[in-house]
Amino acid sequence: MDRSTHVSRRSFVRGAGLAGAAVLGVPTLLRAQAREIKVGHVHPLSGPLAFDGGLVVNGMTLAVEEINAAGGIKSQGGAKLVLSGGDSQGKPEVGTAEAERLIREGVVAVLGPYQSPVAYNISQLAEKEKTPFVITVAVADNITERGFEYTFRVQPNARAMTVKSLDHLAELAKASGTPVKTLAMMHEDGLFGTTVAGHVEKYAKNVGMELALRVPYSLRTADVTTEVTKIKAAKPDVVIVTGYFGDALLIARTATEVRLETKAVMGISNGGFSNPKFLADQKELSDLILDGNYWHNPKSERAKQVMEAYQKRFNAPMSSHSVQAYSATMVLRDALERAGGTDRAKVREALAKTNLADHILPQGPIQFDKTGENANAQSALLQNQGGKTVVVGPAQFAEAKAVFPVPRWSR
Amino acid sequence: MTALLWQATISGVLIGGVYALVALGLTLVFGVLRIINFAHGTLMMLGMYATFFLWSLAGVDPYVSVVIVGPAFFLAGMFIERLVIAPNRGAPESNQLLLTLGLALFLENAALAAFRADPRSLQLGYRLPPILLGEAVVNVPRLVAFLASIALAVLLWLFLRYTDTGKAIRAAAEEREGALLMGIDVRRLDSLAFGLGAALVAVAGSLVTPFLYVAPDVGDVFNILAFVIVVLGGMGSFLGALLGGFVVGLAESIGAAVLPGSLKQLPIFALFVLVLLFRPNGLLGRARG
Repeated sequence: MDRSTHVSRRSFVRGAGLAGAAVLGVPTLLRAQAREIKVGHVHPLSGPLAFDGGLVVNGMTLAVEEINAAGGIKSQGGAKLVLSGGDSQGKPEVGTAEAERLIREGVVAVLGPYQSPVAYNISQLAEKEKTPFVITVAVADNITERGFEYTFRVQPNARAMTVKSLDHLAELAKASGTPVKTLAMMHEDGLFGTTVAGHVEKYAKNVGMELALRVPYSLRTADVTTEVTKIKAAKPDVVIVTGYFGDALLIARTATEVRLETKAVMGISNGGFSNPKFLADQKELSDLILDGNYWHNPKSERAKQVMEAYQKRFNAPMSSHSVQAYSATMVLRDALERAGGTDRAKVREALAKTNLADHILPQGPIQFDKTGENANAQSALLQNQGGKTVVVGPAQFAEAKAVFPVPRWSR
Repeated sequence: MTALLWQATISGVLIGGVYALVALGLTLVFGVLRIINFAHGTLMMLGMYATFFLWSLAGVDPYVSVVIVGPAFFLAGMFIERLVIAPNRGAPESNQLLLTLGLALFLENAALAAFRADPRSLQLGYRLPPILLGEAVVNVPRLVAFLASIALAVLLWLFLRYTDTGKAIRAAAEEREGALLMGIDVRRLDSLAFGLGAALVAVAGSLVTPFLYVAPDVGDVFNILAFVIVVLGGMGSFLGALLGGFVVGLAESIGAAVLPGSLKQLPIFALFVLVLLFRPNGLLGRARG
């Protein structure tokens, strides 16, 4: 017998007693509750990452409002979704405590948390508490490498992001008739940059490329001239950069100064290259830089509508973080429709069987593999063209033709 | 490899000039007030934001903004000294240390709340094409920052050497109580020195903004190095800070040529330890009683 449907005499009596008390005490509230499904989320809402955390929450809010306006969860009598938020303050221990509180308060699932270390901890808690944990944004591979059943991730992880980006680069090289044989990589020397560089090193030969030089750099620096000069001396076909925003800017500037000669400068999961602020502040410098990153599908009509709705609702263009959060929420909606209830184990079952084709991501249907990763997740190949970031690969989702090789690097 | 080392040497000297300017402000404040100003890097960050916003909102060229940012931070520094530092004169040294650390935390988080974590950057309205020295590239904004830093250091030196106020500052740094007994208003000099320190570091901020970026935590990069430079050169020593700036700039840059990633700072700290072992008062520091 399914444990979740089994009702022992004792729990029946206790449940009936509680329900009775609730009906006698606050009958109107009970009716309202029956038509509401609480969805928990944990993100950095204060501290250095508060702004980014806010973008993620906006994406979820947009999705929930759209779902509720369209009649809620139809299979559950039109139940409305209600977001219940927790502030991680950017710290794993705070994030986990907040997730625990939300789970106690009876949320059907926890979404979050924008940072990999926080995700690592919450996933453990979610497993213990048998509560579905749907990642909005967190890239580290190891989150799903522990055989957990309750953790699901829609966005591409570091490995998928790297592998797909190199695939797309190979595709671009072939289509443009410009062979790419050697790569050189600059990466920040923390866990993030080192992980991505490790994947590049391993995977490059699968697409006929070779990582000729790896130059790690420190984030705490005011000068990368020497590092970029090393890259220049290696004369690679394409330079790959993985890092955050300030350092990415410094590298782009220095590369221009030292007249780096290469066919393209391309980020993989780069925090700066496709950041709207980078394009706004540095139109010239950012132009024609490539970036393999998560994005929306520019060819999807639905994506266009969602972007417009976001602009109207929050008076700002929808960021790629918001797109991921929106998508994660829609995946949960789809699972709730099929679960036919809010039992967490059943919602998990439904999530595991997800096959969602109606989404706004540049990929095939969203399906989860055994580890809870989106099996078809992939990054898009982006290029900044005239102050706008456009998708130039893979061909299926491209909205513009890539400029490759990039003239400014190949004088 | 020779080309790389040549480039590293040039880059190291250029950034070393800026490090020296940052360290000069710090050593001046230490020399007179005998406090270690942990908020030094934070003031630099605020100077950078001032430059950025003068450029983005009012169209003021970052190099022109120096004449606004410098005096403004001089006054702000005097004000901070009067408001926060002066009332705690005579308190145990650890308290004064915590005070400037608290000030740094407060200002950095205020900047975070006001300007957000995303870095901002400006674009000069004109082109400054790089100069080639053999195979090495000289970035012109960095060269300008270097030259301006040296010019300011010379001005500061002339001021300290030849003006009455400058002499008084040196006297107070040398022997505080003696200066007090000679009728020098040391309290006024405290404010003045702190104001000068703030102005120097804020101007250093203006000078680096065209080739760096602005973010609430950008001052950290310079803060630690400035402490190392000041101790390396000799605490309170003018020439020591200047020399230390170039030593650290070169050590870091050449470190980057031969060592990967964050290890590029290894030579700086190795040098630091060696100097402290063999010259505990720094390269040009004098033993203090």
